[in-house]
Amino acid sequence: MNKNYLFGSTSGWKRYAPILLLAPGVFLYILIALGPSLATAVYSFTDASGLRGAPVNWIGLDNYDEFLFQGLASRDNIDATLRTLKFSVIVTFVQFTLGLILALLLNQKLRGRTVFRTLFFIPVILGVVIQGLMWKLFLQPRGGPMATMFDWFGAQSEFLGGLPGPAFNWVIVVQIWANVGVTMVIFLAGMQTINTDLYEAARIDGASGWELFRSITWPQLTPAINTNFLLNIVGSLQAWQLFLVLLGYKPGTQVLGYLVFAEGFGQGTSPTFRQGFAAAASIVLFFLVLIIGFVANRYVTWREARYMG
Amino acid sequence: MTSQTNRMAKDMNPDAPRALAEPKSNIVRSRQVKALSYLILSIFSVFYIWPLFMLINTSLKTFTDYLKDPAGLASSPSLANFGDAWELANFPQYMLNSAIYTATATIIFIITSLFVAFPIARGYFKGSGAILTMYVVALFLPPALIPQFQLILNLGLYNSRAGFILLFLINPIGMIILVNYIKSIPKELDESAAVDGAGYITFVTRVIFPLIRPAVATVTVLHAIGIWNELILPTIYLTNEDLYPITRGLIVFEGVYGSNWPGIAAAVLMLMLPILILFMFLQRYIIGGLTAGAVKG
Repeated sequence: MNKNYLFGSTSGWKRYAPILLLAPGVFLYILIALGPSLATAVYSFTDASGLRGAPVNWIGLDNYDEFLFQGLASRDNIDATLRTLKFSVIVTFVQFTLGLILALLLNQKLRGRTVFRTLFFIPVILGVVIQGLMWKLFLQPRGGPMATMFDWFGAQSEFLGGLPGPAFNWVIVVQIWANVGVTMVIFLAGMQTINTDLYEAARIDGASGWELFRSITWPQLTPAINTNFLLNIVGSLQAWQLFLVLLGYKPGTQVLGYLVFAEGFGQGTSPTFRQGFAAAASIVLFFLVLIIGFVANRYVTWREARYMG
Repeated sequence: MTSQTNRMAKDMNPDAPRALAEPKSNIVRSRQVKALSYLILSIFSVFYIWPLFMLINTSLKTFTDYLKDPAGLASSPSLANFGDAWELANFPQYMLNSAIYTATATIIFIITSLFVAFPIARGYFKGSGAILTMYVVALFLPPALIPQFQLILNLGLYNSRAGFILLFLINPIGMIILVNYIKSIPKELDESAAVDGAGYITFVTRVIFPLIRPAVATVTVLHAIGIWNELILPTIYLTNEDLYPITRGLIVFEGVYGSNWPGIAAAVLMLMLPILILFMFLQRYIIGGLTAGAVKG
């Protein structure tokens, strides 16, 4: 079994205690996570439905063909893919920037900074249901707080209930609002590791605030920057649950993750469970995450080499 | 970022020795920076406090009050909505379900993963590295949603507590946090325990477990919050209303009582309270877990 075995008797069943105790955890993991994850690829070549005992037929690349190349019929899928990219780019960029600004502000010795930090972090732990319902209430088009604020400027909006464009943008707002706290605490943790002597030395040399940021904070923050960049990209490509709570499966706002769920579990345009097709859509999403994640990772490694040597 | 003192000091008085010019402008400058910081932070705070305030305010209104003036202050605050929501929507049952799922799955997960994390962190098995890699790759693989459903369906566990709990017995990130933490515990401990003749189970539960308690706390809290907040899996796997956790119950409640926002707001607050209380006590474990390994090179 292993040569490092240290505990108890070395004979009899007790000898196998470590491996017997390891087995359940690993077995569960393979059964529930790893196995199904890999099997997604297999299902994407079938016409599996969600019905128990229904026949499952091998249909080759038909699902992918339907997803990508069926002209008008594929339009919605392609649009959802492009929308996923748009969502991800905006969320990554804004959440990264806001998180960095908040962290920089809260890294100062300010009275009440723990209160601010807690406040901005709280939505993270509340989960999509509370996040979503809170904002649904806040964005009530008739007499809600945001509508009142719009009124001050003579503006009007249907918010979540109106055209797909603005509704989609409001989901972006809520997504960033809900998750910027994670980006912020990761940046803050990164800033705590920077040696303050560096700032002192630079200040004696007459560096301005911007110069301090440019030549000390930014390069020293590299690990936190990389983590946030990758987490934001991968997280936003896969995020879709706020769409479910805020909008439902609203035409013109779907993203890929939601499309998988809706097609696979009959919540979409047709009430049938099209699980083979949904599996193909999740593989498309997987490749999107893989390619973009890979490029981002290469960029991040390049940055690290440049800044950290 | 905090201080831009020296450039300013030089501009104002280029010939003066810096040590003399600095203190005064330093104070002025840092006050300005602070004032600006507070201004920006306050503007941000509005969007965090206001929705919460709105939620509380709405939950204290009667339905007619709300219809008359949705955003206005509650004129005669009452807690009636909480009682109504509690009775109308079967919330005690939902809360109980959520508590059962969260507690059971978290306890089983922690126990099973402790006995996986310890030997693979130590490299006591051939292939320990491979097992760890198996957990790391999971973070990048396609979602398991569809085959998982087929699995539960074919096991006959669809729409059952057991099947639902089964889905939450794993957490690759949690496993990685545990493994990394155990690596920081000196290996000599194992050897001296072996000399003392301690059994394997005794050693892991009595010696290792207390030493890695901070990591266990972090993983427990993150895992439990994840289960408590989960919406998609109950939507997929549970059709029997008696089995709904609170998240699913709340979304259904919102569907039924769509425009009764005072009721919905009260229900949202009731779901929120346990998480907020937990957060107040365990904040450092939560943030510690999220930032673990994120800032090292």
